[in-house]
Amino acid sequence: MLEVRGLFKSFGQSEILRGIDLTVEKGDVIAIIGPSGSGKTTLLRCMNYLERADAGQMVFDDVTYDMKLVTKKEILDIRRRTGFVFQNYNLFANKTALKNITEGLTTARKIPAEEARETGLRMLEKVGLAGYEDYYPASLSGGQQQRVAIARAIAPDPEVIYFDEPTSALDPELTKEVLEVMRALAAEGSTMVVVTHEMAFAKNVANKVIFMEGGRIVEAADAETFFAAPAQDRSREFLHGLDY
Amino acid sequence: MNERIIHILIDSFPKIILPGIAMTIPLTVIAFSLALIIGLVTAMIQFANVKVLKPLARFYVWVVRGTPLLVQLFVVFYGLPSVGILIDPFPAAVIVFAINEGAYSAETIRSALEAVPAGQLEAGYCAGMTYMQTMRRIVLPQALRTAVPPLSNSVIAMLKDTSLAANITVAEMLMATQRAVSVYYEPLWLYLEVGLIYLLFTTLFTWLQRRLEKRLNRSVKGAQNA
Repeated sequence: MLEVRGLFKSFGQSEILRGIDLTVEKGDVIAIIGPSGSGKTTLLRCMNYLERADAGQMVFDDVTYDMKLVTKKEILDIRRRTGFVFQNYNLFANKTALKNITEGLTTARKIPAEEARETGLRMLEKVGLAGYEDYYPASLSGGQQQRVAIARAIAPDPEVIYFDEPTSALDPELTKEVLEVMRALAAEGSTMVVVTHEMAFAKNVANKVIFMEGGRIVEAADAETFFAAPAQDRSREFLHGLDY
Repeated sequence: MNERIIHILIDSFPKIILPGIAMTIPLTVIAFSLALIIGLVTAMIQFANVKVLKPLARFYVWVVRGTPLLVQLFVVFYGLPSVGILIDPFPAAVIVFAINEGAYSAETIRSALEAVPAGQLEAGYCAGMTYMQTMRRIVLPQALRTAVPPLSNSVIAMLKDTSLAANITVAEMLMATQRAVSVYYEPLWLYLEVGLIYLLFTTLFTWLQRRLEKRLNRSVKGAQNA
């Protein structure tokens, strides 16, 4: 369904991504793991064009895009078929929880307000926040904000949802409530690409694992295989001593 | 203060406040509204890094902020007629005040735009919105909330600065007071009187500012109970 080939990205002198190839099938839950600074977040941001790649190709629903020369219109079209969840939530500070969800439906996709509202309320219920529709982000906990952000990302029914370290800013208890929601999404068959440090999530929820280091993919494997018997020495070393 | 002074103050009060209502307030409101539009456009051009226009925007801010308001008034009112451009006093004052304040507002709005976290724009993009949609619906409303206190400062400063328009024969409050002084020969009391009327006007604007801020702050402080 989604394929990235030969993705390169530098910031100034430092090369962040050095040739990434990646395939996402429908229904995949892919965990991207690896040490800090390995390029995981940049990879995800390039895939949604928050960063412009220096080189690379993307095949999305059988259409090929040049990731460097892609047009504004194509980017808009790609983004309208994807969802993105940020590490620090990035809820619209001037909008209520419900409006955060409906904004992308009414403004970007021209869905009638009433229909968008119904979808919004259904999404809030889905992430366990029924009754919170009129709360502004500032009066929600981090876990609640992230769940609203997930509701916002899934409301347009995207083909793939990107998660950029969705629980890294949360304490263990709040992490748990966010992971519950993500687990439920995965169980429904949502296609998800998750940059995460939560090894338990990668092991128990993801079906594929991509281990990155130094801007390259060190190992890409089934989650089960990866955790039971990593093929690369570096993967073994990384997993060794991690508590999960 | 004897009876004569009280009589003079009462007698001159309408002569001073009426030009205030007819000239000072309209001049402030019209010029400031135009200044906001100029400031918003100038700030957006700089914020969005629009080619060609950005250096022009910066040039405008540089020139206007770097020269005295009074000089700008004189150039437009006394200078332009020599190249065949004649503008009546009131419209000339509106133009100069709008252009002058536009440069200051531009800087205020630009810094307010830059204070909105970059993540807000990115979240808008990821929700499928265009740059303009995200600016209009997400970034600008937040920036405006930040910009209201400094902009209110500017309105109040401008309201007082309109007294400079007396120099280009706009019959505003200070000019009316000068006339009253030449009739009654009581400069101390009459200038104190006009000062008090300015204070009355600025108090009104301050009160409006408070109300506006309260409204705009709703989204920040526990509005779920609203």
